[in-house]
Amino acid sequence: MAHIQLKNISKTFGNHTALSGLDLDIGDGEFFVLLGETGAGKTTTLRIVAGLEKPTEGQVLIDGIDVADWGAAERDVALVLQQYSLYPRYTVRQNLEFPLKPKIRRLPDAEIKDRVARAARTLRIEHLLDRKTDRLSGGEMQRVSIGRAIVRKPRVFLMDEPLSALDAKLREALRTELKNLQMQLGATFLFVTHDQIEAMSMGDKVGVLHHGRIIQTGTPHEIYNNPRNTYVASFVGSPPMNLIDGKLVDDRAVMAPMNFELPISGGARTSGATDGRPLVFGIRPEDVHLESGAPVEAKVHDVENHGVEKIVTLRVGDTMLRATVPARTAVAIEQPVRFAWNPDKVVMFDKASGVSLRHAS
Amino acid sequence: MTQIELRGVQKFFGAVQVIKDLNLKIDDNEFIVLLGQSGCGKTTTLRAIAGLETIDQGDILIDGKPVQHLKAADRDIAMVFQSFSLYPHMSVYENIAFPLRATRKSRSEIDSEVRSVAKTLQISDLLTRKPSALSGGDMQRVAIGRALVRRPKAMLMDEPIGALDAKLREEMRAEIKRLHIKQGSTSIYVTHDQIEAMSLADRIVIMHEGVLQQVGTPDEVYSQPANLFVAQFVGSPVMNVADASVTENASAASVSVGGAATGFEFPRALLSKLNGHAGGQLALGIRPEGVLVRHEAAEGFLPVETQIVEPLGSFDIVDLKVGSKMLRARTRSGFVSGPGERLYARVDPSQAHFFDTASGKSLGVRL
Repeated sequence: MAHIQLKNISKTFGNHTALSGLDLDIGDGEFFVLLGETGAGKTTTLRIVAGLEKPTEGQVLIDGIDVADWGAAERDVALVLQQYSLYPRYTVRQNLEFPLKPKIRRLPDAEIKDRVARAARTLRIEHLLDRKTDRLSGGEMQRVSIGRAIVRKPRVFLMDEPLSALDAKLREALRTELKNLQMQLGATFLFVTHDQIEAMSMGDKVGVLHHGRIIQTGTPHEIYNNPRNTYVASFVGSPPMNLIDGKLVDDRAVMAPMNFELPISGGARTSGATDGRPLVFGIRPEDVHLESGAPVEAKVHDVENHGVEKIVTLRVGDTMLRATVPARTAVAIEQPVRFAWNPDKVVMFDKASGVSLRHAS
Repeated sequence: MTQIELRGVQKFFGAVQVIKDLNLKIDDNEFIVLLGQSGCGKTTTLRAIAGLETIDQGDILIDGKPVQHLKAADRDIAMVFQSFSLYPHMSVYENIAFPLRATRKSRSEIDSEVRSVAKTLQISDLLTRKPSALSGGDMQRVAIGRALVRRPKAMLMDEPIGALDAKLREEMRAEIKRLHIKQGSTSIYVTHDQIEAMSLADRIVIMHEGVLQQVGTPDEVYSQPANLFVAQFVGSPVMNVADASVTENASAASVSVGGAATGFEFPRALLSKLNGHAGGQLALGIRPEGVLVRHEAAEGFLPVETQIVEPLGSFDIVDLKVGSKMLRARTRSGFVSGPGERLYARVDPSQAHFFDTASGKSLGVRL
């Protein structure tokens, strides 16, 4: 059982403000992903929860109790880092047993054996138990580090970019494994990453951190479909949401630089979307379509081939925007094409603040 | 006009053979990408073509002439590396002009060539700067400019954008492609990134442990992989592969995976196309988009239970349990609400691949 709350947390290092006014609520058994670029304050947040760093201001509550005076050990959290820190001369079994050996734990041998066996089974490293850790692959080493966290049965798992050092295929495989593991254990996970695909695919909830502030918290679906501002819109999604400057005139979006126009449906219109107000129109690449009879002409600037689909970069004057098209669509660089968008899916942001009109209140 | 050909090339580092009997023909103006994991021999191959590495056996021909005994400088090939290797004390202009110094060109000729290359690469306003004042992308533009200015017979690039961040990598990739279309020189490009390969290449050469696995257009490599290695290396999420047994029933063939009691329905033609392999060690390969799912039962669809759902924004990847095996399906976003849901699935026969599990080779079945 662990319900974690951060209330109005700030942290400064000298003149540098790492976190300011951070509020987070991580439910018991939730897989919470903190997503942000390097320097956003993700690792600092994690270390504050772990008790390795004291906040300058604010409170950390675990199950409703203020843990300000608790040391890292008392908080009973397990930390898994990008750099696996295993004992190289020990076998995998010894590495897994190690966190259970300290006298204060006073665990009976049978219990230790049982926990190691169970962790090894969960992580599918049973066949490696008697191998020295310096003879493991990167993915195997990371599984062992996670195993060392599991055997302790901590209240909370804190993970700091645990997959970042692995190659793409392995990352893909371990993503599902970790998510599976969290569901099996029913444990609270706080997972930190700069990779939006990891955040989207694993998180029950995602918190987007930018310059030490939480910009938006929500399910992956909410973050993707209803980004709070242009930063979230351009950070989440690969390729990111197209963002084009323009303004509304009647029920049309009129783009500033080239003056091309596209219709907006009633569904996408929000209060505050008044005619003439400077806006940024956001549209996901999958909602931009190439059609011969479509209203706007563009040139194909680039084609990224993903096998299952192609991502086409379109150029209209100086404006670039991307469209996801089926793999069989034949497009060549510099070919003229026509495009339209799905008028229901347009998100409008205020030009000055970057905040979505749906979120402004 | 530059054709490059490799004939029976072998290369050892001590006892380790890093290139095994490599044969490859590259046409004039072609953009070839050597794709593989680190240690597969792709960079060694590139360096051998450039003349930076000797070979132990075989021939390297440029325009039909063997060049394996020629020094790098005499092969007239330009190379761009991941690390930019610019002269730090020279301006951008001097860096680009440097390769022309040794030629007998006049100062004004050199000047016009440097400026024309700079214009192509959109770095005209940076010519007076020192490399230290440039961003990573601009440094690589200068490095490419320095390679281009010589008008070499071929351009060889070794992960030229591997050190750049994701956004810049995408931009530079587009620029390299556009530049190639405009300049049209024979290019060989090394990368471990399959999207880069798929997006840039006229033909992709996939290598693994020093052995060439397949040469083909991006579409061929994606939709007709020659073996299990290629099938699982290209494409993300990775192709599902499962040991399969094929049986015949009254009207159709049935392909069963993971020991499931009921198999996926296939046209009868599968049996003849498997050509006697039906009884042997077979694996079914199917990409996530080839696993078709629906909410209601239907002819030919098997009941399955959903496990993990990965929302990836514009689509979801859903794990389905079939017998003891997990098949991943690509669905539209939000199609499945979560784990434990009942769905009906089938394998699209036209997107299915069959492999001999012993050799890993594709049996070339197309339905």
